[in-house]
Amino acid sequence: MSRPSDLIQGTLDLLILKTISLEPKHGWAIAKRIQLVSEDVLQVTQGSLYPALHRLEQQGWIASEWKETETGREAKFYSLTRPGRRQLESELAQWERLSQAIGLVIRTV
Amino acid sequence: MFRRWMEIARLRFRSLTRRQQVERELDREIRFHVDQQTEENIAAGMTPEEARYAALREFGRVTQRSEECRDRRRLNMLDSVVQDIRYALRGMRRDPMLAVVAAFSLAICIGANTTIFSIVDTVLLRPLPYPDAGRLYWITELLGRPPVEVAVAGDYFSLSEESRVFSRVAAYDNTTLNWAGVEKPEQVDAAQVTSSFFRVFGTAPRMGRYLTPSEDGPQSPSVVVLSYSFWRTRLGSDAHVIGRTLTLDRQPCTVIGVMPQGFDYPQNTQMWRPYDLDEAEQKQRMRMRIVQIVARLKPRVSEAQLDAEMNRLTASIRAEYPKEFNGAFLAHMRILAAPLQRRMIGDLRPALLALTGAVSLVLLIACVNLANLLLARAVSRQRELAVRLALGSARGRIVRQVLTESVVLALPGGLAGVGVALLAVTGLNFWKPLVLDRYPAISLDIPTLALTLGLTVLTGIAFGLAPALTAARLSIQDALKGEGRAISTARVRKLLVTVELAVSLMLLIGAGLLARSFLTLARTDLGFPPGNLLTMRVNLVPSQYPTGVRQVRFYEDVLARVRLLPGVPAAASATDVPLDGLQPWTGMAFDIVGHPPLPRAQRPQAAGAVVSPGFFHTMGIPLRRGRFFDAHDSATTIMVDESFAHAIFPGEDPIGRQIKAAGDPLTIVGVVGSVRGSTLTGGSPVPQNNRGNSPTGALMPRFYHCDCTPQPSPFLGRMALIVRTTGDPRAAIRAVEDQVFAVDRNQPVFDVKTMEERLDASLAPERFHLLIIGVFALIAMVLAAVGVYGVMSYLVTWRTREIGIRVAMGAQPAVVARLVVAESVALAAFAAVAGLAGAWVLTRYVKSMLYGVSTLDPATFAIAPFALIAVVVAASFGPAWRAARVDPMEALRHD
Repeated sequence: MSRPSDLIQGTLDLLILKTISLEPKHGWAIAKRIQLVSEDVLQVTQGSLYPALHRLEQQGWIASEWKETETGREAKFYSLTRPGRRQLESELAQWERLSQAIGLVIRTV
Repeated sequence: MFRRWMEIARLRFRSLTRRQQVERELDREIRFHVDQQTEENIAAGMTPEEARYAALREFGRVTQRSEECRDRRRLNMLDSVVQDIRYALRGMRRDPMLAVVAAFSLAICIGANTTIFSIVDTVLLRPLPYPDAGRLYWITELLGRPPVEVAVAGDYFSLSEESRVFSRVAAYDNTTLNWAGVEKPEQVDAAQVTSSFFRVFGTAPRMGRYLTPSEDGPQSPSVVVLSYSFWRTRLGSDAHVIGRTLTLDRQPCTVIGVMPQGFDYPQNTQMWRPYDLDEAEQKQRMRMRIVQIVARLKPRVSEAQLDAEMNRLTASIRAEYPKEFNGAFLAHMRILAAPLQRRMIGDLRPALLALTGAVSLVLLIACVNLANLLLARAVSRQRELAVRLALGSARGRIVRQVLTESVVLALPGGLAGVGVALLAVTGLNFWKPLVLDRYPAISLDIPTLALTLGLTVLTGIAFGLAPALTAARLSIQDALKGEGRAISTARVRKLLVTVELAVSLMLLIGAGLLARSFLTLARTDLGFPPGNLLTMRVNLVPSQYPTGVRQVRFYEDVLARVRLLPGVPAAASATDVPLDGLQPWTGMAFDIVGHPPLPRAQRPQAAGAVVSPGFFHTMGIPLRRGRFFDAHDSATTIMVDESFAHAIFPGEDPIGRQIKAAGDPLTIVGVVGSVRGSTLTGGSPVPQNNRGNSPTGALMPRFYHCDCTPQPSPFLGRMALIVRTTGDPRAAIRAVEDQVFAVDRNQPVFDVKTMEERLDASLAPERFHLLIIGVFALIAMVLAAVGVYGVMSYLVTWRTREIGIRVAMGAQPAVVARLVVAESVALAAFAAVAGLAGAWVLTRYVKSMLYGVSTLDPATFAIAPFALIAVVVAASFGPAWRAARVDPMEALRHD
């Protein structure tokens, strides 16, 4: 029962927030989107997706709403809240700093 | 930021309150996901069954995911607590014996804790019922040789004028007043107080007014302030009592005020009268009057400021004493200020703290005992726990569950403990032990109950900790294989029992010390047989009996009549009754005629008493040398006791020798046996509450005047009657009282007690302490015995196989039994060493409760471990017997 490390968990949060920053999406679509955009490199296991969504919602960064999908079924759509957007920005900035730093380290070593 | 928190709180709240809806939504969401995946799989060319199966597989176990989502919502916490509680209750039903043992032992221990705490709360913690009572101080002076705490009127005047830290200072003294009464006269407890007295306490009168400064001094008017209870019970709550005249000490006296209910200082006072202190005379400090001083501290005065002020006052008051007092008399002189509450609590404080410590030890033993029982159960449950671990239960979760179980197990005990405490408190209030007499009724209040609840939960966690940690370290493989961690718990359990035994030994030693102390005190040689003696006090009104001759004639008339009563072989009067608990005459300093005169401070001292000639015969005090008083003795003959003879005339014959104080030399005509003074612990009580420090059995030298040719003395008007009876002394009370009324029908008697009642009262604190610690030690020993029994039984069961092999190899049953007993004795020996060490450290805290016994009393320390070992051996007989009867065939076939 190993818990995902902070890095992985934080990264997943970032990915989710980024994915729904354009428009509200339901869980399945979020997973598909991440898979698609990353060209199948990032496989989001559903087992970590839904707990992450619920945690983000509890923290008030995303909000959920039941809406009809284009196929006419009811699904739970998640959208970014105002604090969520701020959180996304700060996480993006942090991520950029981190990846830059990693890039530097990798290049110099 | 704050809005965000509010939002989060709202969401959490929703998750909690609308559980069902949230759960439904979660299901729908997951179902939607699976459906989507299925459709995609179908689109990719799978059959519908295949597609769904793949989707589900990819998603993982649906329920497990929902579990995790719920976890994220922090819902499981509450959920699982409820679950754990249900589970714990089921466990209790499965194992009712454990539940009963837990409830029973905790009920007693938590009950005992709650009781002691409610006593501590009532006596020590609750503030005195006066406004801002924390600023009330008690002021005394250390004076004399050996130094005693005493305040004199001069101190009061100096303090009132000079003190910078006290807003008000008052002097008072206890006295009694003869009230003509309704049907018959009564002697009423009263106090003489300076006009500042009520203002120091800050309590306004319920009716009328209190004393004013113009009413202070020797010419004080005849006015009186009444207590609420006197006004209520004796005057029938008379609404027009202000201005009414009462006959007090045969004089008309005007009521000027009634104090409100609850104003009870000094304790039991029914009337307050102006104090006739002569300021000019008292400031000279020659004819010093002993008073009591209370003062109110100004607001915002720090401890340091108070100390500095006391040092300053010590110097300035020391300078006020005339030259004659220099030397030893003033060598240790200091002005002391102590919070009034601490002063009133007196010697009960260290005792109560020691009792609190002891009762915590009892609770500790109960915890250890239950931890042991739970460990035993944990062993039998380790397979169950291992299975749960193997199925993916978190270890933290299992620890939490085990702790929940133990807390649930503790709660009924805690509740029953409140019941036990209620019973104990009611009992204490009903048979009010004499030590608690001075305090308000013991009550269980909300803080005490809250403490009990907290204690219960803590107890549950404490005794659940060992099994919980064992569960946390459980190895799944071992447990499932059935090997278990039995060895490890055996070691833990033995350790716990050792702790239990060690702590019980400490309590046993404490009880032993108190018992020795009690016996020493109870067996104190009083110097006279206390049986068949009736004592009572008669305080004569000065205006009616102005001279010593008149006073003595009154007592002689009464005694002559009393001696004629049937069943009264002898009767006498005396200024001091042994064990009356009152302060006797202060010591008189004197010179020995024939020795060079000494400076005042170095003269020997002795306590004096005035007695009627029949006193020694009535009391049964033996004559050692010379003769008794006879009717012709003059005021210049005295008798002395043996301690006087030994201290003043060592190795000489005191008969015919003379001593000289003020006035004519006094000639010694006889030596009598020594008797205990006003308390059991010494000849005369040190007028402070530190009996623990007074040297054992050191009797103050004593001499007796005869009242045959009376000198004017303030003490002659306050004599006690002592009546020896052939039958029950209580039966003679009415008859003796009637003789007093026959001589003067306005003269009441009071403080009527048999000598045995006085003896009983003198032993009250020791009896109380011994009773409580004894009960604690008993509980501790029983619990420890149960613990030993449990562990030894467990060890025998666990080693059945080994024992079987031993028996099969030819070991005699007796040898096997001895093996078990030896093991428990080894435990007890370890415990004895630890317990002795613990007791060696801890008994110093009961020092104040001990009399005539050292805190490291060798006998107690030597005997108690053997008592412990005896209990342990007895407790292990059962398991040993079972071990001896192990059938090797059975044992080896086992498993």
